[in-house]
Amino acid sequence: MILLEPHNYIIQTTLVDKFSKPTTLDVQFVDFDGVRFHLSTLDRKTVLLLSMHIRCWDELVRYGAQDVLRREYGSLVQSQPESDYNISLLIDLEKAPPEGEQRDAFIHSIALMKRNALAAPFELAFKKQKELENSSSGQGDIMAIHYRDEEAIYIQAAHDRVTVIFSTIFREETDRIFGKVFLQEFVDARRLPQIQNAPQVLFTNRDPPLEIRHVPGLRDSEDIGYVTFVLFPPHFSNPHVAAGTVSHIQLFRNYLHYHIKCSKAYMQSRMRHRVSEFQKVLNRAKTEVASTERKTVTGRTLQTR
Amino acid sequence: MSNVLRPYLAAVRSTLTAALTLENFPSQVGGCSSSPSVNSIRVSIKIKQADEIERILCHKFTRFLMQRAESFIVLRRKPIKGYDISFLITNTHTESMLKHKIVDFIIQFMEDVDREISEMKLSLNARARTVAESYLTAVSLGIGYRVVTRLKCILWSYSAFAPA
Repeated sequence: MILLEPHNYIIQTTLVDKFSKPTTLDVQFVDFDGVRFHLSTLDRKTVLLLSMHIRCWDELVRYGAQDVLRREYGSLVQSQPESDYNISLLIDLEKAPPEGEQRDAFIHSIALMKRNALAAPFELAFKKQKELENSSSGQGDIMAIHYRDEEAIYIQAAHDRVTVIFSTIFREETDRIFGKVFLQEFVDARRLPQIQNAPQVLFTNRDPPLEIRHVPGLRDSEDIGYVTFVLFPPHFSNPHVAAGTVSHIQLFRNYLHYHIKCSKAYMQSRMRHRVSEFQKVLNRAKTEVASTERKTVTGRTLQTR
Repeated sequence: MSNVLRPYLAAVRSTLTAALTLENFPSQVGGCSSSPSVNSIRVSIKIKQADEIERILCHKFTRFLMQRAESFIVLRRKPIKGYDISFLITNTHTESMLKHKIVDFIIQFMEDVDREISEMKLSLNARARTVAESYLTAVSLGIGYRVVTRLKCILWSYSAFAPA
């Protein structure tokens, strides 16, 4: 699996499961960026309540998350969310679409809840760009989404583009160096002919890009990096393409860090292998064969008489 | 083993073999220093680190090894200042182990460590490239994950059934 999938796997599988066999349940689970979910049955087995807590909810509401979620989920959205959560959907299994493609689509759309909430500022920026296009100048406001404790996404529309900036923290020296290698490849990959129309990627270490340099509260340290995506109208003028772009872009930070961790795990297993090879070479130097204690099944030491 | 390294490693090998007879004189060879005293010989190695990535990989690798020092007997937990890794071969080691095999081990280590680090670096770059290209391809096509996974399945099933 190279690409991360935008939907939540637990929501998807649990719903599929409950559609075929409704039972009472009460589960809490998490997604990327500290998003919490609570899925439970109410008074009846066939009525499920799915609630989500997302760190930057207030900011998302400001950029129209309520409207996006209402558009996607309609009457499923509860006016009063469960306490401790930001939004709740009431899913009545008996009123859901019939089995088949329609139901799959329904389940899939619910599993995309986090993605849809985070899509709001992107959609707003795409809309703003459309408005500004005719005036052929001007810029929209910078929308900041603090979706993690120390990391944020900044989105700004201009008359010919939408700029998305990620700030990301590399906790360890190794992460920072690996991250640099990865991000350099993102910058260089666009030279390939088949991905020349991909969004432009820029990467800076420590220094924030010009667009957000005036934003207060930016951290000034060596472990922070900024990644800028420049989206042009072809990336979002068609609604279908725009949906794909949003799904991928909002997972960028997770995608990057996921692969940094994968590389580290790979290095670790490689080193383990190499070290055991060294051990074999050194063991050849030993004159006497090390006698290993042999145990029986019950745990007693086997003795040869 | 690369041809460039061959004479150097041959020199190290003969120096080590000579030193392991525990004669009392110090010797210095290139980036690898070995100083015998009456009853022990210390071999310290400085590993080539051309850039930041090699530096971090070298650090990770030597640390990984040194954490397992007790199973390596001749390996020290901490290197001598200015070097990346130190071995200490004492007279008890030379009594319980075959001398030429200890030398083999040191030489093998020197041979492999460079190669291992450059291979790790290559694999990191290769992964980074694949990761960046798959992501940007997906974004530039604007396709949802479903199409991507379906595409992958098709490619996979094709390669699984295609004649080798």
